[in-house]
Amino acid sequence: MEVIHVPRPSKKAMYPDRPANGLLLAQVSHLQHAERRLPLRYRSDIYTHTIRTEGEAANYIREVTEAIHQAHADAAKRRAKPARRRRLEIAAAAERPSRKSSSKRKTKTTKRRKK
Amino acid sequence: MPTGLDQLKHIVVLMMENRSFDHMLGSLKAVDARIDGVSDPLSNPDTTGALIKAQALAEFQGQLNPDPDHHFPAVDIQIFGGDTSPGRVANMQGFVKSYFNQRRDVGHSQKIMYYFKQSDLPVLTKLALEFAVFNRWFASIPGPTICNRAFAHYGTSFGRVDMDPFDVIEPIKSIYTRLIKATPKHTAKIYYYDTASSTMEVVNLLQNQPELFGTYDQFKKDCEKGILPEYSFVEPNYSDHTGDSGEEVANDQHPDHDVLAGEFLIAEVYMHIRRNPKLWPNTALLVVYDEHGGIYDHVPPPACKPDKFHSSEADPGTNQPFKFDRLGVRVPAILISPWIPRNTVVDRVFDHASIPATLAKFFLADDPNRSPREINADVFIEPNVAPVDANRNLLSLANMRDDCPTFDV
Repeated sequence: MEVIHVPRPSKKAMYPDRPANGLLLAQVSHLQHAERRLPLRYRSDIYTHTIRTEGEAANYIREVTEAIHQAHADAAKRRAKPARRRRLEIAAAAERPSRKSSSKRKTKTTKRRKK
Repeated sequence: MPTGLDQLKHIVVLMMENRSFDHMLGSLKAVDARIDGVSDPLSNPDTTGALIKAQALAEFQGQLNPDPDHHFPAVDIQIFGGDTSPGRVANMQGFVKSYFNQRRDVGHSQKIMYYFKQSDLPVLTKLALEFAVFNRWFASIPGPTICNRAFAHYGTSFGRVDMDPFDVIEPIKSIYTRLIKATPKHTAKIYYYDTASSTMEVVNLLQNQPELFGTYDQFKKDCEKGILPEYSFVEPNYSDHTGDSGEEVANDQHPDHDVLAGEFLIAEVYMHIRRNPKLWPNTALLVVYDEHGGIYDHVPPPACKPDKFHSSEADPGTNQPFKFDRLGVRVPAILISPWIPRNTVVDRVFDHASIPATLAKFFLADDPNRSPREINADVFIEPNVAPVDANRNLLSLANMRDDCPTFDV
């Protein structure tokens, strides 16, 4: 069976300083829309109005895409933690001794007699 | 039931960028007259009135600069030749005029008519001749990328014809959500190239369901292990950038990116499926382009059943409302499977709504909560339910082919 040769792109094809096309700039705009909804700690420090080239667009796209994934991963971890903490708290409470001894416990009968 | 449909477990869609049918596959008319490609009389007038013929002079890179306009108003000129009167007829005579508007250079504007020779595109043309090529696959709307890709994900663009973020309007859901929430549950994934390229479906899917996404490296590994989901949507690399493995050349074929890089990607996706003997018999791969990118094609887009979402007069930029009742310009589309006879040519009309329509009919029960465009779209894989219409089933061979092409990637 004949194996068909696939020509490789020229090394000159790589040009990250190429002006970003309309599609990339639209994608940047969509990611900026999403980034605004992220908590501050996940946001990039890239001012999108300065993005001019494909390489610059790719840097921003990478940062925000990874931030979205990270935010969701962190939220998933937080959702998992409280249940485990609750189980630990219940177990710890079961092992704690009672704060009051039986001799010091006041009863309703005791209170009424004092009056 | 046909063996090809019985065996089918995985459908993969690779959606490339911004090239028309005539531009990429037009040369094949000379090889197979059934393929509705370029013939001698095809031409467009330039701004001096000279008729410019379609010619096999396309170059891999550097020719279509600036990026040909493919937004709604420009595509309207391309399709209707600049005629804005009521009752106008699509004549596909406005491509050179439209491209002239961008650089005001008569000679340069004529290059919008150029197409590739068969030998320029050994991968795409070989796959088109070896499997099923669609003569009538159109972009879903006569406009740009984001809306057209939306039809592939949702069966609609929710009334949008522009590139701005849009909101999903319930009860319509993405095909991914419908598959994974179904009973029984199905599996679906969108593989973007890497995080620096990411996905074009950010605001709704990436932001809300990032677990749907994986990388192209993961796609390759999933192919090797034979654990592809039932539905995979693969996005190309949209930019030249430095990735984890070094320099990554854009391979989406969007002008002015190198077309050869896209040929390599298409071959690589095909070979990753082809090489796994447990995956190849069970998988159908659709290679399709999102829209024509402003580049010449000679087939007038047909009318279609309108969507329930419309755009206002202001949105399309043509002072006319758009009811989503006509399709965009024709794009290359090829369906690949070892159960498809060589040299299959399909003349039925499809658009990107056919993608969720096909998946919904093949994997899911009937669902009224879909857009009218999806409900009315034709399907490219028949549901595996008796009786299967033999005239429509493309995976029709009784025995799997053992003569499918191999590429050196």
